Amino acid sequence: MTATLIATDIGVYDQRGERLLEPVSLQLEPGRPLVVLGETGSGKSLLSQALIGTLPAGLAASGRVCLGGSHLDAAQPADYRRLWGREVAVLPQEPWLSLDPLMRAQQQVAESHRLVRGLAPRAAISVAGEELEALGLAGALRRYPHQLSGGMAQRVAFAAARAGGARILIADEPTKGLDAARRDEVAALLMREVAAGGSLMVVTHDLALARLLGGEVLVVRRGALVERGDSRAIFEAPRNAYTRRLLAADPRCWQRTPPVPAGGPTVLQARDLGVSRGGRVLVEGLSLRLGAGEILGISGPSGCGKSSLGDALLGLHPPHAGTVVRSVARPQAYQKVFQDPPSAFARTLALGQAIADLVRRQRLDGSRVEPLMQRLRLRPELLARRPGEVSGGELQRLALLRAMLLDPVFLFADEPTSRLDPLTQQEVIGLLRELAGEGCAVMIVSHDPELIARTAHRCIVLDGAGAATVPAPQPRPDSAGAALLR
Amino acid sequence: MTAAVFRLLQALLVALFVGVTTFVMMRSLPGDMAWRIAAHRYGYDLVDADAVRLVREELALGGPALPALLQWLGDMVRLEFGTSLVSGAPVVDEISHQLGASLQLAAVALLLSLLLGPPLGITAGLRPGGSLDRGLLLLSTGLRALPQFLLGLVLILLVSVELGWLPAAGYGTGAHFVLPALTLALGLAALSARIARDATAAVAASPYYAFARQKGLGDSQVFWRHGLRNVSVPLLTCLGLQFVTLVEGVVVVESVFGWPGIGHGLVHAIFGRDVPMVQGTALVMGLAFVLVNALIDAAVRRLDPRGAAG
Amino acid sequence: MKLVTEGLLSERGRRRSRRFGAVLVLTVVLFAWLAPWLAPGDPFGQALLKALGPPDAAAPFGYDHLGRSMIQRLGAALRLSLLIAFFAVAAAAIFGVTLGLLAAARGGRLDRVLVLLSDSLLALPGLLLVLILAAVVPDKALAFAAGLALVLWIEFFRLTRATCRGLLTSPGVQASRLLGFGSIYVFRRHLWPEVAPLLLTTAAFGAATAIMTVASLGFVSVGMQAPTPELGLMMVELMPYWREAPLALLQPVFAIFLVLLGLNLMAGGRTI
Repeated sequence: MTATLIATDIGVYDQRGERLLEPVSLQLEPGRPLVVLGETGSGKSLLSQALIGTLPAGLAASGRVCLGGSHLDAAQPADYRRLWGREVAVLPQEPWLSLDPLMRAQQQVAESHRLVRGLAPRAAISVAGEELEALGLAGALRRYPHQLSGGMAQRVAFAAARAGGARILIADEPTKGLDAARRDEVAALLMREVAAGGSLMVVTHDLALARLLGGEVLVVRRGALVERGDSRAIFEAPRNAYTRRLLAADPRCWQRTPPVPAGGPTVLQARDLGVSRGGRVLVEGLSLRLGAGEILGISGPSGCGKSSLGDALLGLHPPHAGTVVRSVARPQAYQKVFQDPPSAFARTLALGQAIADLVRRQRLDGSRVEPLMQRLRLRPELLARRPGEVSGGELQRLALLRAMLLDPVFLFADEPTSRLDPLTQQEVIGLLRELAGEGCAVMIVSHDPELIARTAHRCIVLDGAGAATVPAPQPRPDSAGAALLR
Repeated sequence: MTAAVFRLLQALLVALFVGVTTFVMMRSLPGDMAWRIAAHRYGYDLVDADAVRLVREELALGGPALPALLQWLGDMVRLEFGTSLVSGAPVVDEISHQLGASLQLAAVALLLSLLLGPPLGITAGLRPGGSLDRGLLLLSTGLRALPQFLLGLVLILLVSVELGWLPAAGYGTGAHFVLPALTLALGLAALSARIARDATAAVAASPYYAFARQKGLGDSQVFWRHGLRNVSVPLLTCLGLQFVTLVEGVVVVESVFGWPGIGHGLVHAIFGRDVPMVQGTALVMGLAFVLVNALIDAAVRRLDPRGAAG
Repeated sequence: MKLVTEGLLSERGRRRSRRFGAVLVLTVVLFAWLAPWLAPGDPFGQALLKALGPPDAAAPFGYDHLGRSMIQRLGAALRLSLLIAFFAVAAAAIFGVTLGLLAAARGGRLDRVLVLLSDSLLALPGLLLVLILAAVVPDKALAFAAGLALVLWIEFFRLTRATCRGLLTSPGVQASRLLGFGSIYVFRRHLWPEVAPLLLTTAAFGAATAIMTVASLGFVSVGMQAPTPELGLMMVELMPYWREAPLALLQPVFAIFLVLLGLNLMAGGRTI
């Protein structure tokens, strides 16, 4: 098979000449995906950006790229411009924001056909329509981006990106923020392209996506390639220690949480709970009882009311029906961990000050902070920084520390790891399990069914229309209503 | 609350506000208001106690404040502003006469500023940090530190007094237009250029702008297809809110150059305590703002489908 | 409306231009209050023989058309403008921030009423409000300060409301409440640090508006009345003598330019 793109010694440097990415060579072949796997800040995106001349201002690349019959110097990004759309198609990271908000879906695809491929205006429109219909978007041709769901926008962007005739598709984190079902959709979309003889390069931290795509895998860490090889070989027998840790962080490889000893005291009970947001009923007639040390999983499509349910249990969001009884009188025993760690802290306040404020306000024993910091593997110097200057994983552990200082009996973890890398996710979930092991009830929301299945003792699935169902029918004797499962 | 209802409420509130303030102004003026009105109505020689009493009763000037205020607001709602205390002509006639002159000036200035400001701002915004952008920032900062009356003063001194090219004040010929229109336009252009620059820089840095380029479109194709429309939405909204700046500019520039428009009239009316004229003029200015912004609402709704849904 | 010059100047460049603006304003303030000590005399004392005369030891900035010391008149005029601007901005900030916080925290009907009120007031030219108040209130300076406060509070209100509304529903504030903190803590740690820097730019911008308005009204003869020293009024008085004494006219022009430039730089590229 002949390579469609041959890159030799691609390195990336910052303004001071410091190397951000060690030179990497790679080839793209039709029909065989190439996946660059790595964590946030590993330099994996820099690699794909250097390949197609889209590095942010201030960064420079070195190396040579042979692409569609042209020989290019990676240090001259301007030369790549004429290849965009014609030879290389770039699938945007956030499709919803990457479509012109003022232009209809069909137009955005048709303009590539017309202006890049050179079709006549009428032909461009009809081809665009056919392509979108083939992607299952027949009803969305005349819609504007804000009328499309995230998945639909992804497909429109896909059609628009490759309408110019490019046979090399480059996708940077195409599953960012998508739930499992939509992630599989994206994988299928990308594989269609491969099956049709196109070349595909995907940059991702999503282990499930990498597994689905197969092909060749490059594992990148701290700006250097640590391992490369056939996808199946790497997933089955990783040679590098880091790769092994990374792959083991995939929720599907986790151990299940051991069952909770029966007979723990009830910490929270809800009866016939109804929750709505903005006039829309999300949950209706839900009854549940949570005992100490129990982990309850909540899953369901985005916007189905997972967060609203948790907020209602915490008393942050008034339910429209039913009652919630929080058995422990101390209000601060009921805590929450948020999805976006930086937004859960005061932006301008040093983290140490935030903790000190809490110690003073609740008259806590300040000497407990240090051992807890050590336990959560938090370096003391972090306390001098502001939330924006600390990584997401560290910040999420600090949020846990903040909650743990108050000896919580119930913790609502609202998508606590959806913005974190696999290894960090594994660590944070591990801490939540530890917390549960010490008797705190944990309610965890996630869009990842694997994660829920292996972490939670039981699970509630919301459909967003009022119904709450449980996957395996085996109601506990103490539960009121069929919504609970063990 | 839909946009139309909001604008309607806003118009009502503006009218109420103008009515109440002018009422307070009338009540607090020194001297006998009824006598002054009567004198203007019937002539100084013919004013007698009866005429003054009639006026006082008609406008409820002597009585308790609340009924008088209601009477005053009622007259305003029926568009009965009365006659000017200075010229004796009906307020409506005076204002419609002045409005013509003001609209001419404002239209010329607005056109001039739109030819200068947004094109410069958009060009600068497409290359943030470029030499045009830096130059424009310097220029607009300088212009902001130069109030419009000062700009007018400088132009009068240079062009009229020193060079003698154009008349410093007056109205009638095309030459009279140049200095006031230029003064007004420069200030407005500085403002619209800044707004356009920031809106353009935001659009050019957006993911959809980058994606359009990566689809393979050329720079000018990206700009005309994805840039201009997206820039025009915030630009229009901002400019609508800045209508007040235009009106204030009109007031100052007309006064500096002796332009017989509504702004000049307003300053004279306040100076001469001509309450009916103040009321009529203020109402016209306030309602014009609401009208202009209602039109902009409609234009933005046409341009931007997102607003129509939400 | 908040438009900040982004991307054009680096954070450092922006800080530098802000500091330069503050230095300009401080220089003018110092001059205004030190003028009486720099040279003797009073701003009203006429000496017709010295009319439009050049600088001398008694009057280092020369004399105006009535032979009054320019340095004294300039100092007095700047003090007047700066004081009006200070009181107008202070009153506007107190009202605007309080109402903005109230609207953001309470929401509902109160919020809607306040927004409608401020948006309606926005429809009226600020000059008009100031002029009408000046016609009603006998003390002109007080009337100007009050009228300007009536115009300027809107921006403080809108800014505070917009900033705090988002913050109050943010996870950070929710977390603080769950941890047992009260409203005062939320204000001190979450709201105030975000609002305060915006207030500074808004205040600088508002002060520029105030000084400009007072001078504009003086220039078109509906502001301060002679013989009060006021920048706009001084310019219109000295304009007929442009040929004989250009420096006398340029002094108030230069003074107002400096102060407005300084304030605008402090406001950091804000347009509105």
